[in-house]
Amino acid sequence: MDNILEVKDLELHYFTQKGVVKAVDRLSFDLKKGETLGVVGESGCGKTTMATALLKMPTPPGRIVGGQILLDGDDIMPLSETEIRRRVRWERISMVFQGAMNCLTPVYTIEKQMRETLQQHRQMDRAEAGKRMLKYLNLVGLSSDVLRRYPHELSGGMKQRVVIATALFLEPKVVICDEPTTALDVVVQAEIINLLKTLKEEMGLSFIFITHDLSIEAEVSDRIMVMYAGRAVEIGTNEQIYGPQGSAHPYTQRLLGATPRLHEEVKELSFIPGTPPDLLDPPSGCRFHPRCPVVMERCPHDDVWVREIEPEHMVACWRC
Amino acid sequence: MKRKDSSQLRAFWNEFRRVKFGTVGLALFAVFVLIVLFEPLLMPYPDANDRWRDMTYWLDSPRNAKPVWVNWFTSKDYAVADTIEPTSVTESQVGSLRMVMMEFEYDFHYQRPPADLQLVTTLTGNASIQMELIRPDGASLNYQRATSSSGTRDIRVSVAQNLQDKVFRLASAYADPDVIASENPETIDAMATMFAAAEPNMLRATNPLEGTYICKLTVALTSADSRVDDAMLVIAGGVAGWMGTDASKRDIWSGLIAGTKWALLIGLVTSFVSVAIGVVYGVVAGYFGGWVDSMMNRIFEVFLSMPLLPILIVMGAVFKPSIWTMIIMMCLFFWVGPVKTVRSMALQIKENTYIEAAKALGASHGRIVFKHLLPQLVPYAFATMALSVPSAIVYEASISLIGLGDATVVTWGQILQDAYASGAVLQGTWWWVVPPGLAIALMGMTFAFIGFAMDTILNPKLRTR
Amino acid sequence: MSEPILRVENLKKWFPVKRSIRQVLSGERTQVKAVDGISFDVQKGEIFGLVGESGCGKTTTGKLIMKLLDSTDGKMYMEGEDVTGISGDALAAHRRKVQMIFQDPYASMNPRFKILDVLMEPLVIHGVGETSQERETWAIKALEEVKLTPPDEFLSRHPHMLSGGQRQRAATARTLMLSPSIIVADEPVSMIDLSTRAEILHMMRQVQRELGLTYIYITHDLSTARYFTDRLAVMYLGRIVEMGVAGEVIDNTLHPYSKALIAAVCEPVSGRVNRIKEVPIKGEIPAATNIPQGCRFHPRCVYATQACWEQPEPELFDAGNGHMVACRRYEEILEKGDAAKTSEAEF
Repeated sequence: MDNILEVKDLELHYFTQKGVVKAVDRLSFDLKKGETLGVVGESGCGKTTMATALLKMPTPPGRIVGGQILLDGDDIMPLSETEIRRRVRWERISMVFQGAMNCLTPVYTIEKQMRETLQQHRQMDRAEAGKRMLKYLNLVGLSSDVLRRYPHELSGGMKQRVVIATALFLEPKVVICDEPTTALDVVVQAEIINLLKTLKEEMGLSFIFITHDLSIEAEVSDRIMVMYAGRAVEIGTNEQIYGPQGSAHPYTQRLLGATPRLHEEVKELSFIPGTPPDLLDPPSGCRFHPRCPVVMERCPHDDVWVREIEPEHMVACWRC
Repeated sequence: MKRKDSSQLRAFWNEFRRVKFGTVGLALFAVFVLIVLFEPLLMPYPDANDRWRDMTYWLDSPRNAKPVWVNWFTSKDYAVADTIEPTSVTESQVGSLRMVMMEFEYDFHYQRPPADLQLVTTLTGNASIQMELIRPDGASLNYQRATSSSGTRDIRVSVAQNLQDKVFRLASAYADPDVIASENPETIDAMATMFAAAEPNMLRATNPLEGTYICKLTVALTSADSRVDDAMLVIAGGVAGWMGTDASKRDIWSGLIAGTKWALLIGLVTSFVSVAIGVVYGVVAGYFGGWVDSMMNRIFEVFLSMPLLPILIVMGAVFKPSIWTMIIMMCLFFWVGPVKTVRSMALQIKENTYIEAAKALGASHGRIVFKHLLPQLVPYAFATMALSVPSAIVYEASISLIGLGDATVVTWGQILQDAYASGAVLQGTWWWVVPPGLAIALMGMTFAFIGFAMDTILNPKLRTR
Repeated sequence: MSEPILRVENLKKWFPVKRSIRQVLSGERTQVKAVDGISFDVQKGEIFGLVGESGCGKTTTGKLIMKLLDSTDGKMYMEGEDVTGISGDALAAHRRKVQMIFQDPYASMNPRFKILDVLMEPLVIHGVGETSQERETWAIKALEEVKLTPPDEFLSRHPHMLSGGQRQRAATARTLMLSPSIIVADEPVSMIDLSTRAEILHMMRQVQRELGLTYIYITHDLSTARYFTDRLAVMYLGRIVEMGVAGEVIDNTLHPYSKALIAAVCEPVSGRVNRIKEVPIKGEIPAATNIPQGCRFHPRCVYATQACWEQPEPELFDAGNGHMVACRRYEEILEKGDAAKTSEAEF
């Protein structure tokens, strides 16, 4: 068994006053041990929603309406909220939330905040908790004097490290990182990326790395899942997505074409006309068809789901 | 522009409807407005507004009568106050005299007699009157009075005051001698005896005699120009009107109705003017910042630290108290209310990029304040207005309560003041104290509800709770 | 070379910091030196980029150009005229000539305004146009210019009813209303959806070419800067450390800070997953209240020698072909860097 996490037909809907939003629509993927899976897509494509579903803590009015989440072979869907809280969340799967580093309480020291997280999950005596905190702070490249400091005394990069250390505390197998580098400057961003790579290497952790930035995914993820309007459109290895032969789905291709390159002189970038769809009233069939440059006759009519076109490479496109 | 506003209003209304106490407040407010609109219809004494302090206007009502609905809760009903028109008028010529005979019928079906029966009429020229009261059991008593002068006079014959002797004599026919010996015409309850069943204990007035009492009035007009007009029998009942009457015979219900518009006026004008001033002041301070802000803050603090009530009392004592000077004084002090919040809101709004964008476009300070800042604060301003209405009303009442109110109008506070001055609480005339107090509380609650509801909707922090 | 449309000479902006009582008593002054002596020229019709990390002073520079802030020292010339200390009518004229596109198009428009009101605001402020019909036709023209069509449909909408890309188009249309000559664009696409980002840049460039505009493009994103700008200046702690033709600065980097910045950028190409990214820089950016002596980059520079902090701060100088750099030892460092590269290859 080398899949630490398997997700099958996950569906999460938001039941809003205006109607039902299928924010995550029949999503299936797996995460191997010691692997980083990148989840990439534009804002509103459901990537963060998917992450909250994996922790079984959807934001209201969202509800998980179907699917299976197998964590190390155990289906966590039937578990009660208490069981999830006690045995799954943070213990086996944890998350670095988007902007979490800005959510550290300004009036508490780092030690107090970390201790609180720790004690909410596990009864642990002070000495052991202290030891553990130090261990993980060192692991993320921080010295012990950070513990006595207040959040405003730390730089953005250091705060993000604290947040990552907190996520690692209870030694989960899977860590979900939601846009962990977005608010950071490039140099610090590179440091955090390096940190995650080291953690993966040294601790054998599996990561789900969520970002809107294709360039960062190329740098950190072994495999990448591209999402569009709540659905997966392409899942493939780093090589299959970014390699010279190019990705398979027109959306991924265009998105890559729209990304400026640092070391290439590009006269004109390609772009995708139109805007991402309103999920209250999504397009029929393939949800990308109104913006697709190579749309076919059947695209607006037939729903399309990812299927394997070559080993490890799944694409949701009638052309492939 | 219009369309935008109406759609925003609709959205606001939809939100508002969901806040229950807001709807209650709005309903109460509608009731108050209706009361003001239909005031003439609701007021049994149409001149109560202008003649509240004119004692002659209230002569026909009983003194300290309880509200009529008291009868719903007691087994011994009080006689209801009423005025009775003559059932028949006949005129005849006896020699040179013209005789006018009128008959009044009073159906008495209560357990407690009225406080008085008064025959009221207007005589012109020389005339003499004779009154005969006939009880259902046939017993009767007489009263005569001659007037001889020219001009017009109001005649008021009070049974309780003018006919005590005769009532005593009437009762003496039935009563025990020892009872008669122990009583005298000065000490008996004339009305109780008058309406008591004919029995030995009549003077002690235990059993009321129900039935039709007839009052016959005969006026002898001696000269050609003599006339008798507007005759009626006033029953000064134990209960009168929806809210009873006070010690000056005034109908409290009429007073409450008349006071509604003043309460609304004081509340709305004061809150509108003061909040408008306060909001503009706060925005200007917050927007400009720096020394302007510091200076405006100092001025604000001076006003904030001045105690309003003592100043109002001094003002009321020095100037002729009028409702308008009171409103102006309150505005002068109430504007500080929203300043602090508005200032901090302005500080926040001015950090928005679109303010910077407007500046980059070269917009003047006036434009930024009036086009970009103030419109955002309008919702808050409305909520604050609603919330400051009650305090304005209560302040007016407080001033009135210490006797420094505007004597030309009727306000709830003044009704309370009158009650306080005549020791209503000690006398147990609760209907004089409770209704105006409740009215003030209810009006305050109305606006507090509306204000809280608006606050809940417009203040996203409160909404999540 | 013709007269530059904008010339900035030794421009400084220092912000006073709140002092403690002790500092006030001892007369100690701390100041955030947000912009600390920068000079550059912008030619007419050029796209000039200002890049750097947060806190490097690029946004402050933009606001100084906009005259939203007054400079502490230095001079600024617009089309040859000194605009450093202008006020009144001269300032109003400057405001008409220089316009700004903000990072968050949604925040830059009053949410209560309709797009028509947003577009008319500059005209109303400057009293341009006789009737509201006339102003409306201009608004329609501006919307057509930024390809927000059909214009009528958008005029009556509120900003929240538009998508991010449409909002930025509307914001761009607003800047065009007064026919400006310079547009300062502060991170105009960083909040726009990935798929529409290129489209907005494309539109901006089209408008620039058609109307002969000059852009000052402020960003932290080197990749879009490379794609969008003609020339760019790299800023570090309130100073320009390197300036030149965009491709030249990025491909033949001279300054060690620019090198670090470029090395840190991620690129959408495969085969980097299992490699640690080497960024030749150390430590963290110091506070702008306490700028290091000598070359202000020396504490973080991996090549720094004693000379770097003992000698006075290096000025920006031409290293050939208009490629300016503020590092005395750039040639020496270049050789070292090349040597390191070759040794890495051998290894």
